[in-house]
Amino acid sequence: MTYLFDPDNWEWLWTGNNFRFIVEGFAVNVQIALIAMAFSLILGLILALLRLSKVKPVGVAAGVWVDVWRNLPLIFIILYLALALPAPWVDAYESVVPSFFPEALQSGRVLAALLGLVLYNSAVIAEIMRAGILSLDRGQGEAAASLGLSYRQQMRHVILPQGLRRMVPATVSQLITLNKDTTLVSIIAIQEVMRHGRIVTGFNFFGGVQAPVLQVFVFIGILFVITNFALSRLSRRLEVREGGPGRAPPVRVLGVEDQMAPAETR
Amino acid sequence: MTELWEVLRDAFPELASGFWVTVRLVAVSFVIALAAGTLVAGLRLAPLRLLRVIGATYVEVFRNLPLLVLLFISFAGLRRAGLPVSAWVAGTGSLGLYTGAYVAEALRSGVFAVGKGQVEAALSLGLDYRQALRRIVMPQAFRTVIPPLANLTIAMIKNSAIIGVSLLALPDLLKEARIYQSQTFQTDATFFWAAVGYLILTVSATIVARRLETRYAIRR
Repeated sequence: MTYLFDPDNWEWLWTGNNFRFIVEGFAVNVQIALIAMAFSLILGLILALLRLSKVKPVGVAAGVWVDVWRNLPLIFIILYLALALPAPWVDAYESVVPSFFPEALQSGRVLAALLGLVLYNSAVIAEIMRAGILSLDRGQGEAAASLGLSYRQQMRHVILPQGLRRMVPATVSQLITLNKDTTLVSIIAIQEVMRHGRIVTGFNFFGGVQAPVLQVFVFIGILFVITNFALSRLSRRLEVREGGPGRAPPVRVLGVEDQMAPAETR
Repeated sequence: MTELWEVLRDAFPELASGFWVTVRLVAVSFVIALAAGTLVAGLRLAPLRLLRVIGATYVEVFRNLPLLVLLFISFAGLRRAGLPVSAWVAGTGSLGLYTGAYVAEALRSGVFAVGKGQVEAALSLGLDYRQALRRIVMPQAFRTVIPPLANLTIAMIKNSAIIGVSLLALPDLLKEARIYQSQTFQTDATFFWAAVGYLILTVSATIVARRLETRYAIRR
């Protein structure tokens, strides 16, 4: 404890560029998380709808796809893609990536990282969304159908607005997990916060102070805890506002790490 | 196709030993997670405010911290601080304490799911508090807790791959696959069999969970 809080061991943080260097690395994580989140949400919704499709083979195929990706370790997927992605894809990414992106995201390896994060998280989010849609009373769809709405109209105006609202908490908790999982891309040598942390703990870096490993990673941990805590608070607020006064408490769909998605709810 | 079978035959000893390491990693971490989770859930339900705050802080910190950061702190960090921790202790400890935060939340909501009226009814029937807890609350809470615990076990199987790949010298399934791949460059075949190994674990955990769920389902 005294070692952890000894001011001498925190001196590195104020030396040279160390503080800025770590925060810059963290910004790369946040950017990767944001890109992966956007794609995962879109792809997740598509997969959920495909899995619920009335055309049997489509539903089964989507089901197998989702179950395979969400049952593999994310780190496994990222590592495999980094080793196996065909070179033309990687080159294509490097030529497509906007030049205003930070340098760390220009590297072709980022494609493997983003693809891995999206494949895994879209599968998980698809299950959450499916559970949200299935949790609705069947009468909702039937009533909409009897009013003459087509399948697409039912989904867009009746089922999705209600179902998606129920899965806000589960989705946010999955997004927090995604944010934490961006650290895994350091394994394939993308220059983000973990890599920056390791550089800072090396010899003769920025002002010649060798930073102690424990304190550097405690500091990085604090950055994550603050960001994710804020994210979860935000979601709680969102939930309360959507519930509205005088309404029954909202039904919640629980996320992977909270609750198994019900297989046959109804 | 023949390539696939050749790799399986050639790499089987390595992959099997990696598979076994993964199983043991998850088993030990599970025990730690259950112990830590029970303790923290107890703290969060304690009558003393200070204890509740400690419990809540534990949950918030460990749920929001990346596992990889925890592994760096507990292995390289403590080592540099003069506290040499073995790879096994750091790996299972990190995974166990990390999952413990989720276990605590699952246990807490399981206990809360049992209605207050149940306890009151039991007490009015003349059961004392311990009997009410053991015979009325616990059996019901156990049921609600099975699905989330099963899920956490699956999450642990997947998260255990992080331990092997990060700086810790632990030859788990993914690590063994990585080593074999780097020697033979049979990327697709090696990772295919490693994927099969992970799917065997996660899918069988799912099946066991479903069984338990139906066995202890509340019949109405």
